[in-house]
Amino acid sequence: MATKKRYGFVIDVSRCIDCRACLVACSVENQVGMKYTRIWVRDLGVKGDYPHLERTFVPYNCMHCDNPPCTQVCVSGATYKDADTGLVLVDQEACIGCGYCVDACPYSARYLDRERGVVDKCTGCIQRLQVNQQPACVATCVGRARMFGDLNDPNSEASLALKNADTVQRLDYELPDGTHTGPNVYFINGEVMDPAVLPREPKYTTAETAWRRLLIPAVVAGIGLSFLGQATFFTKQLLEGEKEFEE
Amino acid sequence: MSHPILPLAERRRLREKQIKKHQLANLLTHWFNVAMWLMLLPTGIAIISSPRLALSPAIMQEMFRNLFGGTANLIRFHYSVGLFWIFVLAFNVLIGFRKYFIPFSRERLLLTRDDIDWLKIKPMQMLGLMKDKPLPPQDAYNAGQKLYMYAVILGTLGIMVSGVVMTFHTVFPPALIQWAQPVHWVSVGAVVAGLIIHVYMGAVFPEEKEAFFSMFSGKVSAWYARAHHEKWYWEKVREELEWEEKVTVEVEAEARAHEAAAPGAD
Repeated sequence: MATKKRYGFVIDVSRCIDCRACLVACSVENQVGMKYTRIWVRDLGVKGDYPHLERTFVPYNCMHCDNPPCTQVCVSGATYKDADTGLVLVDQEACIGCGYCVDACPYSARYLDRERGVVDKCTGCIQRLQVNQQPACVATCVGRARMFGDLNDPNSEASLALKNADTVQRLDYELPDGTHTGPNVYFINGEVMDPAVLPREPKYTTAETAWRRLLIPAVVAGIGLSFLGQATFFTKQLLEGEKEFEE
Repeated sequence: MSHPILPLAERRRLREKQIKKHQLANLLTHWFNVAMWLMLLPTGIAIISSPRLALSPAIMQEMFRNLFGGTANLIRFHYSVGLFWIFVLAFNVLIGFRKYFIPFSRERLLLTRDDIDWLKIKPMQMLGLMKDKPLPPQDAYNAGQKLYMYAVILGTLGIMVSGVVMTFHTVFPPALIQWAQPVHWVSVGAVVAGLIIHVYMGAVFPEEKEAFFSMFSGKVSAWYARAHHEKWYWEKVREELEWEEKVTVEVEAEARAHEAAAPGAD
């Protein structure tokens, strides 16, 4: 989906030291409960042979995909891709916390907040964005590993960092229908796909699958037959004209 | 429908004579249900906007979201009306439990031998076969109406239970909420499939014109009752005769008592 602005993250993995200040800043800014977190840092483990060892930490969160699989499954459209910013958001007043989207996200970037009965995720700190501030995780990152900006704007900090990067990786994923997720998180200056921990195959809940594959054809057939039946008799009635039934 | 050959005068008399078929409580509940469905069905269809399910046109989704001010308000309207619907229907069933609910489920709901035969013959006749075979006499509701009743009763329960689960989503486990959505939709689908026939037969189909007006007046003509609901008609006639007999006996007894109290007064 092409949006006016395309906000995204550029993450310089060579600069992350796994301090997790971003997790704390995010939780404080967005009042995320102690049990949960909206963003993560993945440790890819130690690589290489002594003494040439290296270790990569991959900070990540919602990829704010161009073609998000999560919004495709949401029954009510409570989760949607914002047309102005390109951010993938959840309207928590409309969300009923069924979790279809949690299973469908190939990046496991959403969680179900059981206490509030809604799904929660990274919002790109849209409330800060509206007053021209960086997301909390970006503003707090001491190593400046996290960058954020409009990827449609060639002069944004994120676009410039992307332009000057040594390597760029994007955890794109091809969905079963042949389309691509088109994530808007770019990892620069490091290897994030070895070992390949993300993305995973999107899961579709049994309820949603049964609904789509079984129940829709059955009900559509039922309603269709019933409609055709009455339409036939109605047409017959119109063609033949009506007579007083008693006689 | 058996149309007995009757003398013209008798037919005229039967057409004039009105029999009470629906109580006011039934009429009010029916039209209340109609009003709630008119509000709930379009908003419900508009809520479902998953492109994977593709169950409603985008223009409808957008129109209702704009009309109500966003997805959250549309959902709020839908479940508020839904809860009101549940409350009133449950109240009606409870308050009318002995007067309406028990007699209805005992006498009007169950399929009898004649109903089964009717279900075998009627669809064939609709296809133009077995035209000469007479239809078995039907009770106040014919077998087709009874089948629709099952869809409505089961569908209504399915809609209400799954609706409550989704409305109070903070207290139910996610697995239940995941299933509540297809259950809600399928229950509505089952009722709608029957509803199409119900509305056509009730409001448009020429032979059932009286059934439609009876949903306002509560009354049908004796002729219609005899032709369409023969069993029920004779039951009514028997009731009337019994009542007449009872009144005659009472009046006679009263007259005798009167005579005994004041002998030779006249």
